[in-house]
Parts: sequence; structure tokens; C-alpha cells
Amino acid sequence: MTVPPICLDVRGVGHRFGARLLYRDISFSVGNGDVLAVTGHNGSGKSTLLKIIAGLLQPTEGSVELAMNGEVTPPSRRSNFIGYVSPEMALYQELTAVENIRFFGALRGQTFEKIDLREMLAHVGLKGRGSDRVGDYSSGMKQRLKYLIAIMHNPELLLLDEPGANLDVHGTRIVEQIIHERREAGFLTILATNEPEEELWAGCVIPVATV
Amino acid sequence: MGRVRYSCCNGMNDQTWIQQALALFRKDILAETRTRVAFGAMGVFSFASLLLIALAMVGLKGVLIQNSSGQAVPAWNNSGKMSLLWVLLCFAAFAGLSHSFVYEEETGTASTLKLHMGPQAVYAGKLLFNTTVLLAVSLVITPMYMVMTGMDAGTLPMFFAVMLSGTASLSAVATVVAALAARARSTGALFGAVGLPMLTVLLVLIMNAARQCYIRSESAVQYLRPLTGIVCFGVLIVTLSAMLFHYIWED
Repeated sequence: MTVPPICLDVRGVGHRFGARLLYRDISFSVGNGDVLAVTGHNGSGKSTLLKIIAGLLQPTEGSVELAMNGEVTPPSRRSNFIGYVSPEMALYQELTAVENIRFFGALRGQTFEKIDLREMLAHVGLKGRGSDRVGDYSSGMKQRLKYLIAIMHNPELLLLDEPGANLDVHGTRIVEQIIHERREAGFLTILATNEPEEELWAGCVIPVATV
Repeated sequence: MGRVRYSCCNGMNDQTWIQQALALFRKDILAETRTRVAFGAMGVFSFASLLLIALAMVGLKGVLIQNSSGQAVPAWNNSGKMSLLWVLLCFAAFAGLSHSFVYEEETGTASTLKLHMGPQAVYAGKLLFNTTVLLAVSLVITPMYMVMTGMDAGTLPMFFAVMLSGTASLSAVATVVAALAARARSTGALFGAVGLPMLTVLLVLIMNAARQCYIRSESAVQYLRPLTGIVCFGVLIVTLSAMLFHYIWED
């Protein structure tokens, strides 16, 4: 399997909320197989930076470009190549795990056989829990399901905000494994974290700090 | 733990916004069958209103008033009953349909939707869902109202055309106002403040068309003219909403 050349170029990004300047002039460039950790204290804007990269938020300064095969992806299509796990991105509580997977898959043109669903759920440690409503899941199980939905379309860029949130040791190992496999496959991963152990998963670290 | 299978560089096809809108519509229908929040809100409001109208009507039965030409006509006539039905449907729509966007914002699924689909698809999916819910509620409420008040349908094709076009236009108004209110996080007040001007125009158009149900006319134009007003208003609201929705939906 070949992964297309990926290049994420963040140039002079700054953001302000009203009069409050969060940060300015953040620049970096990452590509195939890179794992980047964005670090900083609470409120430093790590999650905001991830949202800007995902195209969910417009930066007040600078630009973000995601290029695939040397061609810059239009911002409106950027999310097609992105998987995103974040505490702010919730799943539908009243639907079962399988219904959530089918819905988010359908939005991306994916359909799944029952056997695929079983295998996917087993992969994140949710074997036999596919027909349970997400509202009945523990916070750790919800986090595992978020991972499944984020990676099921093999995104070129995976954004992880607080990757280990709510996960037990086994769950954390699954995340570590996902990051490792993506790195081996040549995909790009960016995580925002405060945890020193999670920083070790990354090949490089970008500290962000409020101005 | 099994290994992740990266079978292709991107396992995703570019979905059209119509396919995404249909997927959102199916999801909303499935969620509604579980939670019944929209149906519940609209149902409770409608049944309570029906009961109040039935009680208020008791004193009006058989009362005659003079019309502009000096003739004695029933105070509680078909046009009046039809107007009240639409007032009931309008408030029911505003009570139930705000849920569609507020729910996404409150539960945090709005951000997930933003990542997975464009604003155009979200608007189309929500509009389709709201129209379906409002049509379903109208289908239940209207016959009950007609039985309780003794309202005559008048010219049947005109009656159905008014009900259908009015319901669709009403859901278009309620959908965009619901989106605005959900984003502003001040649901109740904004829902009323923004909705009222649009709702007033729509209600005037519907009343105008509803009166035509009870006037016998040989000319189709007499029936089509007021209907065209409702349809044009609905199309205008949908077009403007679709054009401006991304400003509402995106941060």
C-alpha cells in the first residue's frame, strides 16, 4: 500500500478571541510518518490550534495548507482527509455504537458489513458492545469509539486532542498502537497533550504559549 | 488487539451533499424514534391547545355577528377556525423544531457534524427532517381539530394545497430560526424575536390562501394566486437560508 506524499504547512498562525490574543506566529511543516505533539499549559490554545488545522476554526493570522501529492487541498475538502478525536466532539448518545459508525461512515461514503463492524469494534476493545447505546457507555468506552470513527476512513492526518483522556491502561496501549501503525504506514498524526508519557509517542514537540 | 488495516490511502468517497443530507435525515428520524423530543414537545403543545380551543369555543357556538354587508353570519366560521388551526401549528412548530439544532449544540455533536459534512448538507438534512416532523404532526392534529371544531375543508384540493405548502414554508422558517437561536445560545428569546417577522408574513399569506378554500370560484387563477404567494415565500426563505447558512453554522 502506498500513502500519497502529505505535507501540512502551518505558516505564521495566530489567533485571538475578541481582544485577547491567544498566540501568534506559530509555524511548522510536517509530512509522511511524522508524529507531532503540541504541548502547553491549560488554556494555551492547543485545542484551538488543532481546530484551526482541521479547518473548524479560521485563524485570525496566518494560514494552514494541507497538500496531498503536491496539490493543496481546498479548506472545504480538508476534513475529508482528517480524523479527529477530541473531548469536544461528541457522538450520538441515543444511537448504538454500530448506528454511530454507520452514520459517520455514510457521511464519508462508507458502508460496512456486519463482520467488518465486529472486527472494528474488537480492534478498539468494544467487542460485543456494538448494539449498546452510546449513552450507556462509560467515558473510556466512548473515547475508544471516537478513535474507531476517527480512523475508519484511513485519514491521512489524524488529530488527537488529549489522546489518553478517560482511557485505562489497555485503552492507552490501543492508542499507542494506532499511532505506531500510522507512523509505520506513513500517515501524519498530531496530538495535543499535557502528559509527559504521551509526548514520548511523538517524534517532535511544538510548545505553544499564550502571548 | 488486532492490527489496523490500512487497506487504501483513503477509504472514503466524495459524498454529494444530497447523500450526506439524506444520511443526516435518516439519523435524525432514528434518534427521534428513540427520544421523541420533537414529537413530544409538539404533541403536548398541540393537544393542550386543542383542549383550550374546544373549551373556548363552547361560548361561541351559535353566536351570529354582522359582516360588512350587514348580513348575520356565524362568529365562529370556517375561515376563523382555519386561522386558529394555523396559529396552533405555528406555535407547535416553534415549540418542537428548535430542538433539531439546539440538541446538536448542547450535546457537542455539532462539532462532529462540522468535521464530517458541509453546511449545505446540514441545512438540507435538518430542513427535510423538520418538514417531515411538521407534516406528520399536521396529519394528526388537523383531522382532530376538524372533528373538534366542526371545521369544513371547503374546496378539498385547495385545502390540501394550502396545508402542504403552508407546512413546508413554516418548517423552512422554523429551521433557519432554530439554527440562529441554537448558535446564539439564547434559544427562547431569539426564536421569538427573529421568527416573528417571518412568521407574520407567512401567516398573512396562509390566511389569504385559506379563505379561498371557502369561496367557490370557477377560475383556477383565483386558487393559484394565493398559493403562489406561499410557495414563493417558502422558496425565498429556503434559498436565502441555504446561501447564508454557513455564516450561521460555522465559527
